[in-house]
Amino acid sequence: MGKKVNEVPDQIDPRLPGGFQLPPFGIHQFLALIIVCVALWALGSVWLGLQGAQQWVGSWQESVQLHVYLPVEKGDDIKELNERLASLDGISSVRQISREEAAVWMKGWLGDTALNVSEFSRRLPESLELTLSDTEHEFLFSDIRDEAARFGAAVNEDEIQMANAHQLLHSIQNLAWFATLVIALAMAMIVSNTLRMILLARADEVHLMRLLGAKEWFVRMPFILEGALLGSGAAILAWVLLWPLVLGISGWTDGLSIDLHPFALLLPLLAGGAVVGCLGAVVATARLVSPDSVDK
Amino acid sequence: MLTAGHLMVTVFPMPDRNTLIEMQQLMLRYPTGKVALSGVSLAIAKGSFIYLTGESGAGKSSLLRMFYGGLRPTSGQLSVQQWDMRGVSEGDVRELRQRTGIIFQDHKLLFSRTVFENVALPLRVQGWEKDRLVPRARKVLEFVGLDDRLWSYPEALSGGEQQRVAIARAMVTNPAVILADEPTGNLDEDTARRVLDLLMTLNSNGTTVIMATHDLHLLTSHPGRVIQLHQGSLVGGSHG
Repeated sequence: MGKKVNEVPDQIDPRLPGGFQLPPFGIHQFLALIIVCVALWALGSVWLGLQGAQQWVGSWQESVQLHVYLPVEKGDDIKELNERLASLDGISSVRQISREEAAVWMKGWLGDTALNVSEFSRRLPESLELTLSDTEHEFLFSDIRDEAARFGAAVNEDEIQMANAHQLLHSIQNLAWFATLVIALAMAMIVSNTLRMILLARADEVHLMRLLGAKEWFVRMPFILEGALLGSGAAILAWVLLWPLVLGISGWTDGLSIDLHPFALLLPLLAGGAVVGCLGAVVATARLVSPDSVDK
Repeated sequence: MLTAGHLMVTVFPMPDRNTLIEMQQLMLRYPTGKVALSGVSLAIAKGSFIYLTGESGAGKSSLLRMFYGGLRPTSGQLSVQQWDMRGVSEGDVRELRQRTGIIFQDHKLLFSRTVFENVALPLRVQGWEKDRLVPRARKVLEFVGLDDRLWSYPEALSGGEQQRVAIARAMVTNPAVILADEPTGNLDEDTARRVLDLLMTLNSNGTTVIMATHDLHLLTSHPGRVIQLHQGSLVGGSHG
């Protein structure tokens, strides 16, 4: 029995180029996928590290707060200290925390132990909670320390360390953005060079399609799609490879009460990879000139 | 030439409806300064079979390239399928190419693709769906006698078979005109005659065929109108 005339044999799938048909996957694409994946993995690790560090210093809080403690015997000076601290540049507000409130908070922090709040509150110093508006203000911490010392009060130095760490993290975050930009450009160039090689290998096909009257989008679309696919494929692979890292350091992060969320990186990596891939493809196809081109 | 005061205007006649290609005082100069065509005036009627002859470098291939928008006239008038090729837009050139079948001197077959894929490519460019595309490509390959080589790669075919694939690709969209640049150039006489038989059959079905060739002896068995070029000009002046 003869086959129907319009039946394409199962074992041979016609691969017609152009439009939404991707070029075949070869060694060049595989190498580009690996390189872009490694770059994205490195970026993902940096941002994951920043995520952990931010949790550690508590930078999820909207503002940085410091506490100043005044001994009970100097409690009469609390109002004046409050006013002096509030007048410093870089401090947005100062709130006096009553000793009862501090004792209740501490009871909760200790796991609701059988602590006598009224008895305990009598032993606590007077507390002021400073909300900082600008942690980068020059001499801010020195000024706070000086004012506190004048009244015989003490500043919570651990919180100052945290505020400094917060500042440092801010600088590191800027560096991370810069690194992201540089690596994104490098990845776009890698994708662009890979597609350029594929384009060179397929120059005859591109030329022929143009001679047959193909529209430019039809000629270029496979390469744009390939770029986007390379970028997003590498991003997914990089994201999957972040998990062994997260699981490997989980003992250490648990000890620091850090809860890493790689899921938060999936969409940024995927979108970033796809955009970078498209960008590389657009660059690669920007000067796709054929003989007998329709350009004047 | 009309003169109105200081203004001199060259008036070209409007192309006839039965005229597929018309040119007046056509000139082509390459950026290098070489003049490929000069003062060529002729008209090609729909449905005709044209032999473009002349020595190497006479301008045959340049003229064929102008017919599908691969080259633009430097001066003069050229009208192809009602398009004025001097100011034709990119979109119009694409449309013109979709209505033109081209057989190249070097075949321009894609060796990484099967015979079927090579022939189906123009249909894909024109947006044919698979259910229409497959039977059409098969039918055309049947016409050129290659229906048993659908899934072969061109490198496995002989020179004559490759040329027949090129003909199938050129005719698959049923174009108004087929431009063939030396289609029998590298073929033995018998194969060349078979190729020419195919082109003649297409012509008898209404397709205009314009063929650049050196093989003048083919004319005895396959008659057609001869346009002879010599150093970029028509031999014997304008041909109507």
